[in-house]
Amino acid sequence: MKPRVLITGAGAVCGAGRDPDTIFSSLIEGRSAIAPIEGWDTAGWPVRNAAEIRDFNARALVDDRKLHKFIRRTDMLGIYAGDRAAEAAGYAAYRDALPEDDAAQFADRTGIYVGSGGGAFENQYDYFPLMQAANGDLQTFGRDLDEMVNPMWLLRTLPNNVLCHVGIRNRLKGANACITNHSVGGTLAVIEAAEALRHGEADRALAIGHDTPVERQNVLYYHGCGLLAPDTLRPFDKARDGSVFGEGAGALALETEASATARNVRAIGEVLGGGYVTEGSGLLTIRDDGDGVARAIEAALADAGIDAADVGMVVAHGNGTSLSDASEAAGLRRVFGKRSPPVTAFKWGIGHLIAAAGIVETTLALAALRAKRVPGIATLEELDDACAGIAVSREAQAPRSDVALVLCRGFAATDAALVVRGASR
Amino acid sequence: MTTDRIPAHSPRRVAITGIGLVTPLGNDVRSTWSALERVQSGAGPITHFDASGFSTRIAAEVKNFDDDAITAPRRFLKFANRSHRFALAAAEEAMRDAGIAPTDEDAERWGCAVGTGMMGVDYADLAEVQRHSAPEGEIDAAKLLDDVSANDPLAFCRSQSTAGVALLTRRFGIRGYATSVHTACASGGQAIGTALKLIRRGAVDRVLTGGFDSMISPVGLAGFCLLSAVSTDNDAPQQASRPFDATRNGFVLGEGAGFLVLEEWEAAKRRGAHIYGELAGDGNSLSSYRITDSPPDGDGPIQSMRAALADAGANPADVDYINAHGTSTGMNDRSETAAIRAVFGADAKRVFVSSTKSMMGHLIAAAGAVEVAICALAIERGEMPVNANYRVPDPDCDLNLVLGEPRRQRVRMTISNSFGFGGSNSCVVLRHPDLVEGAGAR
Repeated sequence: MKPRVLITGAGAVCGAGRDPDTIFSSLIEGRSAIAPIEGWDTAGWPVRNAAEIRDFNARALVDDRKLHKFIRRTDMLGIYAGDRAAEAAGYAAYRDALPEDDAAQFADRTGIYVGSGGGAFENQYDYFPLMQAANGDLQTFGRDLDEMVNPMWLLRTLPNNVLCHVGIRNRLKGANACITNHSVGGTLAVIEAAEALRHGEADRALAIGHDTPVERQNVLYYHGCGLLAPDTLRPFDKARDGSVFGEGAGALALETEASATARNVRAIGEVLGGGYVTEGSGLLTIRDDGDGVARAIEAALADAGIDAADVGMVVAHGNGTSLSDASEAAGLRRVFGKRSPPVTAFKWGIGHLIAAAGIVETTLALAALRAKRVPGIATLEELDDACAGIAVSREAQAPRSDVALVLCRGFAATDAALVVRGASR
Repeated sequence: MTTDRIPAHSPRRVAITGIGLVTPLGNDVRSTWSALERVQSGAGPITHFDASGFSTRIAAEVKNFDDDAITAPRRFLKFANRSHRFALAAAEEAMRDAGIAPTDEDAERWGCAVGTGMMGVDYADLAEVQRHSAPEGEIDAAKLLDDVSANDPLAFCRSQSTAGVALLTRRFGIRGYATSVHTACASGGQAIGTALKLIRRGAVDRVLTGGFDSMISPVGLAGFCLLSAVSTDNDAPQQASRPFDATRNGFVLGEGAGFLVLEEWEAAKRRGAHIYGELAGDGNSLSSYRITDSPPDGDGPIQSMRAALADAGANPADVDYINAHGTSTGMNDRSETAAIRAVFGADAKRVFVSSTKSMMGHLIAAAGAVEVAICALAIERGEMPVNANYRVPDPDCDLNLVLGEPRRQRVRMTISNSFGFGGSNSCVVLRHPDLVEGAGAR
């Protein structure tokens, strides 16, 4: 028997809301956060929609204004979600009541795993005024550097900023990792945090995923690679024509049974297992038979010690691109045969959050299990023949059990699968 | 080996069976080790670009790197920036050295875990975008639409944090767990620690693991100059990196890649693989102190070292060599010394310490991986590299440094420290193979 990994807190933020229940409600009501991009003037752009966070208020997300100088938009989202999960799990309240030695031990035994993304291109634009002034002359670039670029520039750019600052803010000092592995980053953060607890490296660990892909250059590149829809994301639909970006962050507080019992904290769910593989076919190429999807699911089910028939609902990656959705359906058919549990996908409503996608969608899967309702896919008009055999629906469905399977696919032909058990209210 | 000596939490042991290096000291293992033995420095004036206006104009560059060292098909190189080329070359050497590669039958049992640098975008690509789309210094969204660089799928592919892991898994046909991590200067160590755990928990049986980085570019160097983190000893580049010396004044930026092939111990033995040593333990912690500062009392690194030793089932008395993080900054070296003294107690006077950054500079995301490889070679060859450029003792850094020439003696166990901006600390423990097979290993 593998040691249990309980979920004792969750946080999420994206275009559809600032907590999992609000985001879940918007999905159940069929509302999408995808709307015209406000970040820049998209006149003439081939892609004009995204699920941006519209009322972005930095101070409401991260109260420490001094910190704003040292972090990017993506970091703010990650810190916000991480703080919410730590708060929900009651870390500080419990630790502060302990004698100092025990509090130090509590900190050393609390880890943090982050799937990090965002800001790859725009952060470098901070150098453009200097580059313009230098006009190609690197001697001038070097000489005028101090006067024209924020001395903290490198620190603002660190991919592991969320790891650092959530750690400092919540006094987490244990096992940690920052995973920079594109879309699967957030899901891998959960898998690695759970493994750290299973193997006694920590008693508690936050898992976080954060990303802000709605960047000008990023949008052009994804569009150029044929990955973005001009307006709407239609998972598994015959008319699907690409993905739509969102932005956001999600976090889960994981805890061993012993720690949760000692702290008398209630679990909102449990991580049963995970599986993760690559198809080894390069950065953008994936197989059409869903081999990676099927192998990741099979590994996750084996890790969880359950059968396919025990899965009550599936949150598919469903990113709305032609090949990804068709091969994902093929992978699901290989595992579930003719007995597909209810399948849904959330990206039509919150966009593709890239590194945050898998973990935000896991917080929503937990909300769905709580509500015993699997949200429908509001943009699904006609199921594509290539995606047949999976139980997707426009309407909400009832989960078959209290176990959800959450899928996540990323660049480098990677596939992650996570199995969680929900807790009823 | 009988299973009763293995702690219940780690039924599977991990062997190091292949090593590959591209460093400022040499473009393979043999030339890098030879330079370490001769106490050569890889630092010099920057040649990659005109650095004459920068406060720091020196670095430890990889020299005479030839793409022909990479046997991957030429089309791979279009997807590879400089650091990815280092990775391909070092990984190829490690796989050749191990003498094994994934087959159709076992590809799903191979993993890949790498520490990837943070600088995705090549300076040349950034400069093109600036010239075309930000001619006045501010980005103009409309201009981006017909910007060649901003619409070049290859530039995009090279910029991705997963570009390296994608190239490596495709090149070698790896189909199991494949991941890329970044915790600044601790990245390489954390990648290898991740790889160790993947084999232990049975996710895979073999892993290609390592780190690669190249920040010797205008924007990369600028970031460190702005923080005053790099040495400005421009007139004496070869002496600029002097870890633990009282006059140290910053690190010397390096570049390169280090890779290891790890195998489940029994599987490695069954195929008669050459085993450099056991990858015996991993510990990591978060300082949660300040983003760039190390706690003066060593808090954070203390926990990572203790966790790693416990994970390896080892005591400080078992360790003969510490490859220190030793960046040659005032703060790191003081904090690391305090941590070593706290963990090793009386053994701190006995255990040999050196920072090979004194010769090869700081390889950032590749540093930890290259330095774990050096630890494996130190065990194999019974030889500990020197802490070069040490002249003036610092009472706050009173470690038992390897000075003058390499120390030749049997090396039972080593540890490799890596501490990153952001407070992540990594410690990796290696054990002599005879101690695994012989009596009383634990």
